[in-house]
Formats: sequence, C-alpha cells, structure tokens
Amino acid sequence: MLTLRDIRRSFGSTTAVDGLSLQVQAGEVFGLLGPNGAGKSTTIAIATGLLRPDAGSVDLLGLGSPADAEVRRHLGLAPQEIALYGELTARENLRFLADLYGLADARSRVEGLLAMVELDARADDRTEGFSGGMKRRLNLAAALVHGPRLVMLDEPTAGVDPQSRNRILELVRTLAAGGTTVLYTTHYMEEAAKLCDRVGIIDHGRMLDVGTVPELLARHGGTAGEASDLESAFLALTGRSLRE
Amino acid sequence: MRSVLAIARKDLRLMFRDKGDVFFTFVFPVLLAMLFGFVFRGAATGGSRIAVALVVESDSRIAAGLAEDLAGDASLDVRRVTTREEATDGVRDGTFTAAIILPQSMQAGADRLFSGGSIPIEAIIDPVRRAEAGLIQGKLNELAFRQFPKLLADDAQSKRMFQSMREAIAASKDMGAAQKLAAGALIATAESFVKSMPGGDAGSKPAAGGAGAAWSPVQVRMQELPPRTGVPRSSFDVSVPQGMVWGIAGCVGAFAASVVTERSRGTLVRLRLAPITRAHLLAGKGLACFVTALLVELLLIVLAVTLVGTRVAQPGMLALACVLSAFAFAGLAMLIAGFCRTEAEANGAGRGALLLLALIGGGTIPLFFMPPILQTLSYASPFRWAVIAIEGPLWRDVAPAAQVTPLVVLAGLGFGGFAAGSRLGAFRDAR
Ligand SMILES: Nc1ncnc2c1ncn2[C@@H]1O[C@H](COP(=O)(O)OP(=O)(O)O)[C@@H](O)[C@H]1O
Ligand SMILES: [Mg+2]
Repeated sequence: MLTLRDIRRSFGSTTAVDGLSLQVQAGEVFGLLGPNGAGKSTTIAIATGLLRPDAGSVDLLGLGSPADAEVRRHLGLAPQEIALYGELTARENLRFLADLYGLADARSRVEGLLAMVELDARADDRTEGFSGGMKRRLNLAAALVHGPRLVMLDEPTAGVDPQSRNRILELVRTLAAGGTTVLYTTHYMEEAAKLCDRVGIIDHGRMLDVGTVPELLARHGGTAGEASDLESAFLALTGRSLRE
Repeated sequence: MRSVLAIARKDLRLMFRDKGDVFFTFVFPVLLAMLFGFVFRGAATGGSRIAVALVVESDSRIAAGLAEDLAGDASLDVRRVTTREEATDGVRDGTFTAAIILPQSMQAGADRLFSGGSIPIEAIIDPVRRAEAGLIQGKLNELAFRQFPKLLADDAQSKRMFQSMREAIAASKDMGAAQKLAAGALIATAESFVKSMPGGDAGSKPAAGGAGAAWSPVQVRMQELPPRTGVPRSSFDVSVPQGMVWGIAGCVGAFAASVVTERSRGTLVRLRLAPITRAHLLAGKGLACFVTALLVELLLIVLAVTLVGTRVAQPGMLALACVLSAFAFAGLAMLIAGFCRTEAEANGAGRGALLLLALIGGGTIPLFFMPPILQTLSYASPFRWAVIAIEGPLWRDVAPAAQVTPLVVLAGLGFGGFAAGSRLGAFRDAR
C-alpha cells in the first residue's frame, strides 16, 4: 500500500529523517510512534509527496510516486497543523474540497462526513469559532472527502478533549473496518496500543523497530514483573532524555 | 475546470468575508471617487460661480441692460467674448459652462412685445452640464423680465411698442371696427399711464404672459453642444478612474496575499495534495481576482452613471478595457503572490509596491496633470495603462487605433504576470 525505501531528509544541519524504510500493508492501521522531533511529520510529508526526500523512494499503492496527480487521488492527509479556512463554514470547507476533487456526489459526501464527525449541527458556522476538538474532527473529515484508499493522520488527537479524542479513535476504527488503510502518527502509547495493527517506533529519523504491539512488548518489554506495557518498551527504545 | 471554479469561488468567499479587503477594494475607492469628484467639481467651474461666456450681438437697450445685470449676478462669472464661435469653443473646451448670446433680433422682439413678439435669448450649453443649464435658463428669464420696467420707461422704446400694437390691431381681421376703436382707446390710456411713470424703476417684476398662457415675453433657446471629446467633462470623469486604481490595488493586494495566507494557515497543503496542477491554482486564484477587479470597475461606472450622470462615450470599448485591465491585474496579483514567501512580505513589500505603482499610475494625481517626469515614470505602472485604456472610451472618445496600445499592454501584463508568477517561489512547490 505504501512503501518508503531508505528515505533521508535534512534541514540545514538537522537530519530529520535518516535512512528510514517502512511498509504499510493494505487494510491495516499502522502506527508511527515517536517522541516530538522524531521525524514523524517529515516522514509523512515525504510519503505524501509534499516534501522531496534528499534520497530514497516512495511508492503508493504500487502505482508510483505521489508526484503523479492520479496517484495522489487515492491519498488523504489530516495534517498535524489544522488546515481549514477559518472564514468558511464547516460545510463550505468540505464542499470546497469535494469540488476541488471534482466529486460527482459532492453534496451527499459532505453531508455524510459532517454527520460522521458530529458537526452537522454546527455545519453553517465559521470554523474560526470552533473549539480545538471540533477543528480536529473537521480536519480529519477534510482528509476523507474524496474517499481515499490510504489516509495519513498526523497526530489527529493533539490538543483535544477526551470526548473528541474518543470520537476520533472510533472514526479511525470505522475507517479501517471499511477497508481504508491508515497511517497514524502519535506520541500517545495507549492510542497506538488500542488502535494499531502494527506499530513502528521512530526516533532521530530512524525506524527503531516495527511489529505488532505484543511483538514489541516481547522484544523490549523489559524484565517480567516490571510494567510490561508499550510505554516501557518505547522508553527502552528511545531513551529517557527530554525532547523538543 | 471544476477545480478552478472551486478555487475561485472559495477565494471570492474569503475575500468578501474579510472586512479589511472589502473596505479597501470596494468602500474606500467609491468614497474616494465621490470625494475627489465633488471636491474638484468646484475647481472645474472656477469656484462656486458658474462660468459663462456672453456674446452681445444686439445694440439694443434691453441687451445692454441684460448684459449689465448678468455681469452683476453673484451666481455667474460672466466673461464678454466677441463672437459666437469663440464662446462655443470655450464651452467645448470646458472654460465655460455655457455661452449666452443676446442676438441681433432682440430689438425687434422687444418692439413687438405687446403684439405677440418675444425677446429671444440663446444659450449654448455643454450636455454634461445639464444641472447648471436649468439654473442658467431660470436666471436668464428672471433677468430679462427685470428689463421690462426699463423698457417701458424708455420713451422711444415704449412708443415703438405701442405703435407696433396699433399696427397689429389695425391689421387684425378678427376684430370689428368697434373693437378696434375700443382697443385703440385702451392703448392710448396705457401709453399715457406709462409716460406718467417715474423713470428707471426696475424694482418690481411685471406679471408675465398677460396676453395668453402660451405666450412668453422671453424666449430662451437652449442649445446643447454635441458631447465633447478629449477633455474630462466633469470632475467625476477623472475621479472615477482614480477610484478604480485604488479599488484594483486593494483587490490585487488581497489576492496576492491570499497565496501566502494559504501557506501560513496550512491550507496550501490541501491544495497541493489535490489532483490539480499549479496552473489550476493560478487560474482559480487569478479568476477570483479578475472577477473582483471587474466588480470594482463595474461598481464605480454604475455609480458614476446613476449618481452623477456620467455618460460613457463608447460602452463596448469600455467593457473591453475593463475586462483586459481586470485580466492584467489578476496577472499582476499572481506575480506579486509568486514573489512573496511570507505574509509579512505580502502585506509589507507587496502592498507597498502596489501603492507606489498606484501613485505613479494616476491614483492621486490624474495623469494629464502630472509633470512630464512623472508622466514618463508612469509608463512603468500597470495602473497607468488601465487608466488610459478606461479613460479612452469613458470620456476621451478616442479613435479605436489609439486604444490598441494600452489594450495590448494590458493583455501582455496579464499573460506575463501569470507566466512569471507561476515560476516564482510561492507557486514553485505547488506542483
Ligand atoms: N521545515 C523545517 N525546517 C527545519 N527543521 C525542520 C523542519 N521540519 C522539521 N524540522 C526538524 O526536523 C526534525 C523532525 O521534525 P518532525 O518531522 O516535525 O518531527 P515530529 O513530527 O516527529 O515531531 C525536528 O528536529 C524538527 O525541528
Ligand atoms: Mg509532527
């Protein structure tokens, strides 16, 4: 579904992604788990074709690079930074994207998504007045307007209340159940543990390990008796020094 | 195509929901055009007094009296000229609002005043000065009436009038002999009454039209010149294109900044991910800018036509000039957008450059008032070409050949702006 091969990318003296490889299988929810500044967003930017890697290659759906518009059509992204038009209403934001993709059933798709993220009651309000959770939900809906086969959600629960977070997690499950492949980045262990079929732990732009949560626990869960959860595995892999 | 329209519709919405952009694109330019128009309206007519040229062809007493009263009138600024041609030229070139002619036939008209004649006065006015024309006509009637007591006080004059009356009665076929006799007696009484009047009393105005409703003792014949060309006919001819300059500058500033705004708020990412090309993005944003610029032009023209009576010399050509200038500025907006990588750049350098171009392009000083150096400099401003292209069919009424250069320049600016803008930084990472 998505293959990254040995990608590298530096910004000046900072190496954001350092020879990272990754394969996401069709239909799975893949979690990219890493501390702040690990290189998750940079990896996503390269995977979506928004950023050119210094080295390495990207293949989407076996179709090739996302530089090709027809390949991009199958790709949805909910960026880490909320990307909405504040002066437009929720409905107008989604409708614009539906028209941008030239969808034939634009109206029904938009209405369906508004209901799905429970914003139908506020659909005609400008998004600048929305709460963090509402914006996040709409940001996610915006990634789904064109019904992509692969969606990348970059920290989709950052800065939201537990209710919105719960709704977002449910949504991801619904998506996956519907056959959509999901690449999900987060630094919340429990989210990754609850949601993801497989998890890749990333730090300093490198993939430290990839596997199912039980596999990761088995490999890095520490000695028996200690809290044997993903967090301890994560800390064992990424160390305890503070990040950005 | 649908994606282009989607971008254009979205950008128009954003533009119209931004109070600052709406103010600087629509409200401010209209206020400016109206303000400049009203402020300089006086200047064009030499203060609040209406400038008129006076040609006195008649050597009659009444003509002399009327000329004297006209010169003394506070609302008129009267200048005597010797020939009709001179007066007409003055009206044509805007020196005078109207020309008043006191023709040779005034004496004959005065003589026959009591026997169906009337005093002829002619006025030549500029069609765009219709508002003042009514005032001048009223003033001429009033001042002419004021001459009547003087006429009656003039023995020779009244003798001629009564003589003319007697002749008219004698020649009448409708009156019987007894009626003629009675009328003759009446005239004799009136004549002796007039002779007994103290001379030179011009204070009261005699009742007009005593002998019948259709008859008026003064016949003011107003004649309109054909619409003038080559000179602004009113201050609004100048201020409306000025308003357009500022409105378009506001619109270009708004759309030039819209690209960096997309970047800073992250929505550019969505546009870049969509299956569209850079050309779609430029076309969509350019279209929104084009439509807005066209709306500014239309708004100002409609207001000028409806509120201040501006007359468009060549509507078809004006429409073409508006379309091409809107296109040129959409291109310019995309060029500036391409240069600007941050909102600070767009709002600082971008709008600053626009301000400068608007200033040297006729935004404040009308092009034809500019000193030569500035006029030369103005060639560098796209606004100059738009003003030239719009003024041509608006009031200059230029030949089509003269429109070719500005229109070609505007079209070139539009294409050039789009082409160059798409190669610049801000658009480069939009595929
Ligand atoms: N545009 C950029 N310019 C300079 N440095 C950047 C840029 N984007 C990311 N970085 C740096 O690259 C590293 C990885 O960033 P990022 O991919 O955003 O991490 P994450 O999403 O995992 O928090 C960080 O050190 C960050 O500061
Ligand atoms: Mg990130």
